[in-house]
Amino acid sequence: MELLGMRDIHKSFSGVPVLRGVSLSVQEGEVHALLGENGAGKSTLMNILTGAYACDSGAVTFAGSDITNASIKQVEDAGIAFVHQELNLFNDLLAYENIFLGQELTNRFGSLDKGKMISQANDLFTRLGVDIDPCALVDDLKPSEKQLLEISRALFRSARLLILDEPTTALNTEEVEHLFSIVRGLRKGGTSFIFISHKMPEIFELCDSYTILRNGSFIKSGRIADTTPAEATSLMVGASMEQRGSWQSRDLGDEVLRLEGYSGNGFHDVDLSVRRGEVIGLTGLKGCGSSELMQTLFGVMRPSGGVASVSGTKLHGGSIHEAMRAGVAMLPADRKENSVVPDMSLLENMCLSEQVLSARSLPISRGREEERFEHYKKLLGIKAPSADANINSLSGGNQQKVFIARWLNTDANVLLLDNPTQGIDVGAKAEIYRLILGLAEAGKTVLINTLEIPELKEVADTCYVFYEGEVVKALPHDQIDERTVMLYSTNSLATA
Amino acid sequence: MAVKTMEEGKARSGGSLLGALKRYSFVLVFLAIYIVYAAVSGGLTVGATMNIFRHSAVIGIIAVGMGLICLTGDIDLSVGSMLAFVAGFSVVVFNQTQGSIPLTLLFALCLGALCGLLNGVLVGVVEMPSFIVTLATMLIFRSLSQYECQHLPSELIGNGSSVYRMSSTLPSYQAIYQFGNGRLPGGMPIVGLILLLVIIAFVYLLTSTKFGKKVYAVGSNARAARLAGISVPLMRTLVFVIAGALIGLAAFLWIAMNASSDPATTGKSYEMYAIAAVVLGGISMSGGRGKLLGVLFGAMSYTVIDKVIIALKMDSLINDTIKGVILILVILIQIMGPRLKDRFGKSKAGASE
Repeated sequence: MELLGMRDIHKSFSGVPVLRGVSLSVQEGEVHALLGENGAGKSTLMNILTGAYACDSGAVTFAGSDITNASIKQVEDAGIAFVHQELNLFNDLLAYENIFLGQELTNRFGSLDKGKMISQANDLFTRLGVDIDPCALVDDLKPSEKQLLEISRALFRSARLLILDEPTTALNTEEVEHLFSIVRGLRKGGTSFIFISHKMPEIFELCDSYTILRNGSFIKSGRIADTTPAEATSLMVGASMEQRGSWQSRDLGDEVLRLEGYSGNGFHDVDLSVRRGEVIGLTGLKGCGSSELMQTLFGVMRPSGGVASVSGTKLHGGSIHEAMRAGVAMLPADRKENSVVPDMSLLENMCLSEQVLSARSLPISRGREEERFEHYKKLLGIKAPSADANINSLSGGNQQKVFIARWLNTDANVLLLDNPTQGIDVGAKAEIYRLILGLAEAGKTVLINTLEIPELKEVADTCYVFYEGEVVKALPHDQIDERTVMLYSTNSLATA
Repeated sequence: MAVKTMEEGKARSGGSLLGALKRYSFVLVFLAIYIVYAAVSGGLTVGATMNIFRHSAVIGIIAVGMGLICLTGDIDLSVGSMLAFVAGFSVVVFNQTQGSIPLTLLFALCLGALCGLLNGVLVGVVEMPSFIVTLATMLIFRSLSQYECQHLPSELIGNGSSVYRMSSTLPSYQAIYQFGNGRLPGGMPIVGLILLLVIIAFVYLLTSTKFGKKVYAVGSNARAARLAGISVPLMRTLVFVIAGALIGLAAFLWIAMNASSDPATTGKSYEMYAIAAVVLGGISMSGGRGKLLGVLFGAMSYTVIDKVIIALKMDSLINDTIKGVILILVILIQIMGPRLKDRFGKSKAGASE
């Protein structure tokens, strides 16, 4: 039986069509994958469903009643809940307070009946198989627990359709399994899900049916059982994905970066020797210390021991400026938090770091900066209307290219890339890989930290696998594959 | 010819004309108030207009410093007290140095910068909230200024009892007073010219130098600014020091204009007027957004309101009520305008279907 039906939805923003006649149908008790690259229109469609935007034309029905352009509150009351990528929880409140927010139970004198709320929350958690203390402060919960708390809250408010927007990005394998088992249990009970994700294996593991969008248009929908990851990916991307394997071995130069017994917050005793033009992959489970290593090398955090030298010069550590002068650059993880300066144009965002290095000559040469911008725009293939466009008007992939340009513009020769393809669609990812290989060819040294193993296969000459802050294995390019890397990053060999 | 180019410009900008109006709404606010002033005072003379610059000089320069601080996302509540503090001791220095104007100016700038450094280090390096730090120094500066006025030997403060007075017997007294109250050919007051020079210098600094870009970057996203290599503590400290030096300059203008400084009333509520001018000028209090040029118009708008009230022969006690109401109205329009437009636009689109 159809629970949700969105028919022929049209939406444009200031004249630019974003959705052109998109339809989506979700049955009762199924997990429906909504697929598409970034910018395909998934978020807009979901925002129309939840009442955040009004559609220009089209109809939305839910459980038999018309909810076209209903308010956020009405949609919520109808039983649709959106579990956002950025979690909508109150970090300063307790877990049960979040669940009951706005509909607290009171006793007959009007004061809060905490005991009853806590026990009801406890019942809810037990029923769902969620292991959270109702009285825990939300701020102290792990990301996975927050996600489950938000799902619990939605279910407590008798949601019949949950939208999960990339729910697994912050979770490790075990937590993903737990989430999936909970979703499966709820599906059996008749709850429906819209599952938005870029990770094909997860989709094929969990979902029953799919809808694919591309450039704001409806492409195809059907049963997951009747398709393959390769087919789904090519439908998302449009033209069939270019065959992988642009990696080839390169002649390497002299040693550029050397770490000896390098230790710091979250990692220890790392020895590493990287040569000019080399691409090194760092990987491991979440929290394995590889990201911390990068940050320490870049001076964000202070090292606690060991030696790091760049092109023969020893770094004292703890100073970003020192690292920059030594020719080290870091593209931090979490683009929105750590890279985007939201009130500035593309040009200003790009030139920021170069301006720090050349701060002694105060005036800005606008002409020179525009020249550099055009240069990098062409070199990196940045798709942007003009240098004065706001940074937030670009897609994630293009933003990331602007930040790569930010660092290339400083003439850095060691590039530390921390999770550079986070939240970037498939097509743009492939472009970033090509870029990394091109930079290595041109003599830059690249360290890339990522949890995605296929990514390492694309670019890394050598992959260092971290486990609890230590390098447990260095794998040459030929030996990088999903199974081997997982074996080392979970440290399965030691326990066997 | 000129008309033609203007029309061409209009045609080219087309839809963005509204955007330009929005970006420069502070000019509209000023013009609206100015027209009211012209109406109630029965036509305007050049002299009256030039007087706006004179009376905006001190608050305008302070507001520039405040604008700089607000752009990094901080706030400085101590500016008014700092003005009284620096002005008072500058009078003492003037009297002590037998009326050396350069030394008095230098002292005012340095003491202001030093006061700013105190705020800046506590905010930028120690990372205390700027609201709290400057609330505390606001109390400290005002109190010290009043205390010293009672306890310094009376010849140092010009034989006044509760005010710092420049001694009029010194040979350079006339010169400094002339500086504070004189006019250039054409009627522009000297202090007004200094305000304009400060504005020009800081608009240049913020729009066309690397320093300016860093100020905006820190206010817009401090984490990203830090990871782009900017020393955020240094920048946050520096804006307070610069604002302090500007207050030093304002204090110098104050004593040059008034020949004295009353520690109890000088700069009273100026922090509020400065913040209001900054907000009226369109600078975001959360930092990273806005134009410093707006601060000039914001400050001048408030000066004109004073003049309107005088022209109407109203009780000056109603002054702050009107300033407060105008501030709320302007922000109300800024916030409600787009919402109303949105709703209006939506219902129109609905009707056409």
